Amino acid sequence: MRVSAWLPRLRRGSAPAPGLALALLAGLLLTACADGGGAGGLSSPVLARIHARGRLVCGINGQLPGFSSLASDGRYHGLDVEICRALAAAVFADPSRLELRPVTTTERFAALASGDVDVLSRNTTVSLSRDASAGNALSFAPVVFHDGGALMAPVASGIHGVADLAGKTVCVLSGTSNETVLADRMRLLGLPYTPLHFRGADQTFDAYQAGRCAAVTSDRSGLAARRSRFADPGAHRILPELLSREPLAPATAQSDPAWADAVRWVVYALIEAEERGITQANVKATLAAAKADPARAELRRFLGVEAELGSQLGLANDFVVQVLAAVGHYGEIFERNVGMASPLKIERGANRLFRDGGLMVSPPFR
Amino acid sequence: MGPSSSAQPLFRAALRRAALRRAAPLLLLPLLLAGCAPDGGGGVQSTKMATIKARGKLICGVDGSLPGFSFVGPDGSYSGLDVDVCKAMAAALFGDPGKVEYRNLNSSERFAALASGEVDLLSRNTTMTLSRDAAGGNALSFAPPTFYDGQGVMVPTASGIKTLKDLAGKPICVESGTTTELNLADRMREQNIPYTPLKFQTGDQTYAAYLEGRCVAVTSDRSQLAGKRSSFPKPDDHTLLPDVMSKEPLTPATVNADPVWADAVRWTVNTLFQAEELGITKANIAAKVAEAKAKANQADLRRFLGVEGEFGKQLGLPADFVPKIISAVGNYGEIFDRNVGPGSRLKLDRGANKQWKEGGLIYSPPFR
Repeated sequence: MRVSAWLPRLRRGSAPAPGLALALLAGLLLTACADGGGAGGLSSPVLARIHARGRLVCGINGQLPGFSSLASDGRYHGLDVEICRALAAAVFADPSRLELRPVTTTERFAALASGDVDVLSRNTTVSLSRDASAGNALSFAPVVFHDGGALMAPVASGIHGVADLAGKTVCVLSGTSNETVLADRMRLLGLPYTPLHFRGADQTFDAYQAGRCAAVTSDRSGLAARRSRFADPGAHRILPELLSREPLAPATAQSDPAWADAVRWVVYALIEAEERGITQANVKATLAAAKADPARAELRRFLGVEAELGSQLGLANDFVVQVLAAVGHYGEIFERNVGMASPLKIERGANRLFRDGGLMVSPPFR
Repeated sequence: MGPSSSAQPLFRAALRRAALRRAAPLLLLPLLLAGCAPDGGGGVQSTKMATIKARGKLICGVDGSLPGFSFVGPDGSYSGLDVDVCKAMAAALFGDPGKVEYRNLNSSERFAALASGEVDLLSRNTTMTLSRDAAGGNALSFAPPTFYDGQGVMVPTASGIKTLKDLAGKPICVESGTTTELNLADRMREQNIPYTPLKFQTGDQTYAAYLEGRCVAVTSDRSQLAGKRSSFPKPDDHTLLPDVMSKEPLTPATVNADPVWADAVRWTVNTLFQAEELGITKANIAAKVAEAKAKANQADLRRFLGVEGEFGKQLGLPADFVPKIISAVGNYGEIFDRNVGPGSRLKLDRGANKQWKEGGLIYSPPFR
């Protein structure tokens, strides 16, 4: 009577011939979706494309220290980059089978829709119009960084709050939610101002540093990241007011829910691992302990020692182990790239685990 | 109470016959074909939404016998937190929370009912898990969790049982086909406590067996135990053990194959959260709409309430879907308080279900 009788079951042996049923289901899908436009079941055109190509193509910012920027070693580093590496590790058991492709704010959604990138890991705010089918038709993974829109101004300017911006010019990056949020706030306060729009982040901050605007707006994390690279970081103040909440999340195209499922649970694996205290350093030992002790059922399922959670997502059953060996858990990624161990020194805040007072929590790996 | 006799759909009755059970995968075929519409994710092209709109009512899968979540009263009317999510969805679609047909589903049949299209939406104390979400598992699409729960154990107060260890060698009543069953096995295995699970197909059977003394304990989500206890003849004779055995984010679900419909459900739930954060209630919604219409500078509020912008259109819903929802059921806090909180017999604390600014997990992404 249960649907799972013809789908793979959580526990081996509890369903009659799940393999046969799965093959039947896959056959139906292949027949029904021969044109590749399908959604549902195990058919994922994007995952098939990634396997055929032999590497994952991940759309990143590329100019945002802490999230994705080129380091002196000529490689991209950052929290968003590590999400890409986690996904490559989940798909190929090799985080280096990855092409990082910088995309601008204006081209990012088109790059996803056209298939130029498989996933966007690019400081992108979840919002209704981006999620909605008749909007950008994205599918959002869980939030990887809870951020907020803010303003930065030179300390010497005497600007202490939004109200001080009346009649002033503010540098903004076109196509961002920050642009809309600032416009809304100024409209609410009835304050005239002049937004100066730019198409690239570098141009926006170059203009600000050149004194073309009295202030610049971006997410608080982005402002901190940019300021850390200024010649005189101490001369700039990030205003305390949060103009908006900006939950930043990876995104895929809505047309491939099977791929979205895989991306979603790779992100959850990072959070679940932190809840369980499984790190890059101890994942091998934890795996050995799980293999040795049949009583640790939950841990065994999480690490793929038993059950088939990975294959239900179109991934290997040990995908969690591969992900953690490549990048560690969420807390490690955070601290290394944007936290106290990084130049940005951003506090965990809302990005703490729920049990520590934050918003990060994973549903059960069952 | 006999609620499930009211609407016994053909499919469900038929599914009980073993012969058809073997042919069940064929029932997925229309669904799979529907999922292959060339449009993919571009515009608002939802097979499911077209079906619902043509039918003129939403079919919502609920439990039906769980006080606080979905329960049929003596007059045949449904109430509860899960029911209010169904009503919110009907209000969003039709401007009328009454345009819902409820189907009582037990935990074993719930996913089949969704996959076959018998129900449009499952709002039935269902835990979001990987295998239920995964395309190669049950292929569900989960909305935001509407109740963060955890598994507990209830025992007769007179039994003297204080911890899980006291259950060694004893029979425990559990509903089969639930995550509860798996968690119980895991916890007992970890702590090396032998026990005898007594499994039942429905919640009613499970609790009836417990009340008859066939087991010394019953395990389920803590909210459900509190709900059931409130309907016992002597609620005070039963105690919840302090152990919390799992995380159980209870979440409405749709099928993975129709992301357009899933979007509409997701943002209907987010509407309830956002309204609470903004202090918009069933009582003040009309005044808030009037205020938004009168004040052109209230851009955020105007967009949220559909006075300007295109949120409804982008989701395939009417422009004023947010006011319709709030007029019908109020915001999330009102729904919680009325059904499971201080205004109910369950008297559950908000706990993890507080707004995020107050230390909970109830959070909506921005309406932008």
